[in-house]
Amino acid sequence: MVTSNDVDYPADRSGLELPKSPTGITGFDEVSEGGLPTGRPTLVSGPPGAGKSLFALQFLVHGATVCAEPGVFLSFEGTRGKLACDVRGLGIDLDVLEQDGRLLVDAQSMAGQAVATGEFDLEALMVRMAFAVDKIGAKRVAIDSLESLFAAFSSRPDVVRSELLRLFSWLGDRGLTAVITGERAEDTFIRHGMEEFLSDCVVLLDHRVVDEVATRRLRILKYRGSTHGRNEYPFLIGPDGLEVLPITSLGLYQRVNSDRLSTGIAGLDEMLGGEGVFRGSSVLVSGTSGTGKTTIGASFASAACQRGERVLFFSFEESQSEIMRNMASVSLDLAGWVDRGLLHFYCERPTTQGLEDHLATMRRQVERVAPTLVVIDPVSSLSRGTSTGDVSAMLTRQIHYLKLAGITAVMTSLTEGGNDLEHTELSISSLVDTWLLAITMRDSGERNRGLYVLKSRGMAHSNQIREFLLSSQGVSLVPVYMGPDGVLTGSARAAAEAAEAHLGLGAEQESSHLSEAMELRRKAVQTRVASMWADFEAEEALTAQQLTASKKGKEALRAARLEQGRQRTVKPEDEP
Amino acid sequence: MSSPDGVQAGEGEPTPVRLQLTLFVSGASPTSTQAVRRLRDLCDRHFPDGYALEIIDIYQQPEVVASRGVLAVPTLFKELPLPIRVLIGDFTNEARVLAALGLPF
Repeated sequence: MVTSNDVDYPADRSGLELPKSPTGITGFDEVSEGGLPTGRPTLVSGPPGAGKSLFALQFLVHGATVCAEPGVFLSFEGTRGKLACDVRGLGIDLDVLEQDGRLLVDAQSMAGQAVATGEFDLEALMVRMAFAVDKIGAKRVAIDSLESLFAAFSSRPDVVRSELLRLFSWLGDRGLTAVITGERAEDTFIRHGMEEFLSDCVVLLDHRVVDEVATRRLRILKYRGSTHGRNEYPFLIGPDGLEVLPITSLGLYQRVNSDRLSTGIAGLDEMLGGEGVFRGSSVLVSGTSGTGKTTIGASFASAACQRGERVLFFSFEESQSEIMRNMASVSLDLAGWVDRGLLHFYCERPTTQGLEDHLATMRRQVERVAPTLVVIDPVSSLSRGTSTGDVSAMLTRQIHYLKLAGITAVMTSLTEGGNDLEHTELSISSLVDTWLLAITMRDSGERNRGLYVLKSRGMAHSNQIREFLLSSQGVSLVPVYMGPDGVLTGSARAAAEAAEAHLGLGAEQESSHLSEAMELRRKAVQTRVASMWADFEAEEALTAQQLTASKKGKEALRAARLEQGRQRTVKPEDEP
Repeated sequence: MSSPDGVQAGEGEPTPVRLQLTLFVSGASPTSTQAVRRLRDLCDRHFPDGYALEIIDIYQQPEVVASRGVLAVPTLFKELPLPIRVLIGDFTNEARVLAALGLPF
C-alpha cells in the first residue's frame, strides 16, 4: 500500500485494505482514506468547469513526482500547450516531466467532426494507450473525458461504449490505476449503460453558483471495498491545485491553554471571572445592528496590541480607514497599532470570492501575519449568497484551524431583527467557547446598549445584563438598575439610582429619630425603676419597725402575767 | 511501416489537385482488408485521373496514430486537395465518402 507521507489518517490497516494510490490532493487522500484504488479505474464526474481535468492531472503529477509512478494523460479536451500551461499553474514543468519519462501527454482537441462512412472501432485508441503506457512504463493513466469521445463518435454511441469497456478491462489487466473523467454520472453512464464497469470508485465534483457566489463540492459516491468519507466536502482550486477541506476528519486534539486574555473592557473582564477569556479560545459576539459588536472586537484587538501581540482584523463590511476612524471616536487608537506593525487589517467584500476561497485567503493571511488574535467582523456577512450549512462548515474549519494554531478568535455576528437573539443564524454557537450577546434595551424614549455573557466555557461568569456605554472616554460596562419596575438603563437608570439615594437619606434620618426616642424611653424606664425601688425600700423599713414593736409588746405582756402570778401565790405550800 | 501503395491507374499528366489519401487500418483484420479493398475500388471508379493512397498500420506506427489524433479504425484523411477531411468507417456508405472526397454527388 502506498500512502502519502504528508497526510495523517487513522491506524495503518494496510494488510486488510485495498491497496490505494495517493492523489496528492490535499484533503482528498484523507477523505478517501489513502487515495484511489490501485489498479482500478476511478470515475471523476462533474459538470464542465468543476475541476475534473485538474483532478486527473494532479493525480498523475503526484504519481510522477512523489510516488515514482509514471503516468499517461490522454486528453481529448485540448491541446498539449494548454495542458502544459495548466500544469505550470501548479508549479510543475510538464516538459521536464516528459523529458524524464515520468509523464506522457497525448492530447488532442476533438474539434473537427469526422464523417462516418460505415463500421469502425476504436482500436487506434487502444494502440495509442498501449504505446504510451509501454513507452514510459506507466502505472497511472488518465482519460479526459468520456463525453468528448462520445461527442466525437456521436453516430455510434454503442461502439464507443463497447470499446471503452474493452479499454477499461485492458487497463485492469495491466494493473493501471486510472482516472476517467466524465460529466454527470447519472446521465451519461446510466444512459450508456456503463455504470457497472466504472463502479469501483466514483468521485463527484460539483460547482454551484448561489447568488453569484461559486462554491465547489466533492463527494465520493462510491468506493468499492473501502470505507470513505461520505459527506459532501467543499474544495477549492488554489495555487497548489485542488484542495479538499474535510470537516468531519478534523480531530479534536487541540491543546488547551489556561492563560487568560483581557477583553480590553474592564467591566467585561469582570463579568468573565475577572480575567477575561482563555487564550486560543473562540469568542462570538452576536447582536442586532448598532449594538457595538465591532467596537467589542476592536477592544479585543486593542488590548492584544497593548500586550505587544500581533492582531489580524478581517473586515467584511467596513474599510480599514472607516474602522480606524470609527473606533477613534471611542478612544480606541487602532491607527497607532497599525503604525507599529502590530495590527493588520484585511478588508474585503464577502461577495468578491466564494466561501472556500475566503477560507483559503484567511488562512494565507493568518500565515502571513502570524497573529495571536484574529477578529472576523462579521462572520454573518459571509453567509450572503450561501446556505447556512456552508458557512457553518466553513467557520467550523476556520475555528478549528485557529484553535490548532493557538490563536484566539473573536467573531461578530449580526442577528437579523425579529429573530431570537439567542439563536445564531449560522448555528455556530456550539462551536464557540465564549458567547457574548449585545442587545438593545428600549424604554422611556431611549435605546440603550446592553451586554451579557450567554456562555463561557470553563470559567465562572456573571449572569448580569450590563449596560454597555460607548463614549469618547472609551468603552465601559456598568451594572444596570434592577428595581421593582424591572431593568432600567440610560437616564431611567440614572433617575432610579438618584431616587434610591434620596430614599436612603430619608431612612437614615428616620432611624436616628427612632434611636433618640428609644434613648428617652430608656431613661424614663430607668427613672421609674428607681422610684419603685425607693417605695419598696420605704415599705420594707416600715414593716421592720412594726415587727420590732409587736415583739416588744409580747414580752411586756409575758412579764405582766408573771408578776400577776407571783402576787397570787403568797403561800407557796398552797400551790399544787 | 508504411505501405505506400503509390499510384494507381492511368495517370500521365500531373494534375495540381491530385487526390492524396492516408488510411489508418488495424493490421490485417478482415474489417481492415475489406475497407482497403472497398476504398480502392471506389477511387478507381471515381478518380480516373489517379490518386495517391498511403496505408498505415496502427500497430506498426503507433506514434503516427497519436500525432494524427487517430482514435477509430479505419480512419481516412483526405490530405489533398485542401481542406483536409477526416472519414471514419469502412466506406460502406459510398455517397458520403464521395461527398467528403469532394466529388459533386
